[in-house]
Amino acid sequence: MTSTAIDSATRHKEDALRAWLRARQSVLVGYSGGVDSTYLAVVAREVLGRDNVLAVLGRSASVPLEQSLQAEAIATEHGVPLQIVDTGEVEDPRYAANPINRCYFCKSVLWEVLVPMSRERGLHIVVDGTNADDLGEYRPGAQAATEVGVESPLALVGLTKAEIRALSRERGLATWSQPSAPCLASRIPYGTEVTRARLAQVERAESSLRALGIEGNLRVRHHDELARIELDAALIDHWLEPANSRRIVEAVRAAGFDRVAIDLRGFRSGSLNVLDGVVAA
Amino acid sequence: MTSLESRLREVGFACRVETRERMAIIVPDTASPNREDRQRMIQLARTEGFTHVCVEIEPRGASLPRD
Repeated sequence: MTSTAIDSATRHKEDALRAWLRARQSVLVGYSGGVDSTYLAVVAREVLGRDNVLAVLGRSASVPLEQSLQAEAIATEHGVPLQIVDTGEVEDPRYAANPINRCYFCKSVLWEVLVPMSRERGLHIVVDGTNADDLGEYRPGAQAATEVGVESPLALVGLTKAEIRALSRERGLATWSQPSAPCLASRIPYGTEVTRARLAQVERAESSLRALGIEGNLRVRHHDELARIELDAALIDHWLEPANSRRIVEAVRAAGFDRVAIDLRGFRSGSLNVLDGVVAA
Repeated sequence: MTSLESRLREVGFACRVETRERMAIIVPDTASPNREDRQRMIQLARTEGFTHVCVEIEPRGASLPRD
């Protein structure tokens, strides 16, 4: 699908989403400020009105501060009622041990807070931004949602990421072109403990690299003393030029890494799942 | 010396290769590789069974690259 044209199949899916939301009367949205949950929260606010929607943003060491601030700003801009809750997944030893189903424990902690909150607020259901494309991926966090009855209406009506981007663009949502932004723990190989110090190192390094002007997809993968940088393959030539690579090294060393490497294949979503053998190469 | 390191040296790229399970870390003796070198590195690393290949930039102790 092109970035501007909305085809009739996509329109029908959005109509189905609106009908689905209307039938629920009120929702609490697990909100991250990313492409999917922003679109969902805005559509829910349009359909149900401000009094029947609450977006809740989980704040923790595994979410970059800049991302949380941006999520807050987007909700405010689009009139979506927002509440921020501190989640303590990093303190959960099951999460910190960083098993391959780490996301299950993170989401369990989140939904343990959000599901009771929805009841206290009289909101009928809790929803998340899982989309139709996500259903084919390795996502242990989805199990935690299913266990407590969290629904995924974008996936239910079959909306894909590309369609959500197109519909977001049409609504003027700044998130339409935003790269995916999984939590910082996704930069730490499975089996390596997730600590506040490691998360902070990754956050500082990525923030500094953005400040240098690196655009598009960017991940700093944490391999102990070594930072392995994944960026869009088309940008590798530019950033490997000596003057630029020197700036990268300075920025990443200042964040606490001793060694810096560029991944030669560039950014790959779920790269550590491949490295750790969770999914096939 | 790893097999990948031997093969890279055979094709004229002076480097050291560290391996961490399925990841190869190429530490060049001098400047960073150009695009052609990088494509060759990726191909050779795949052949050797690596899923990830990266090149260390400005490794400590290496000669300084020139602009």
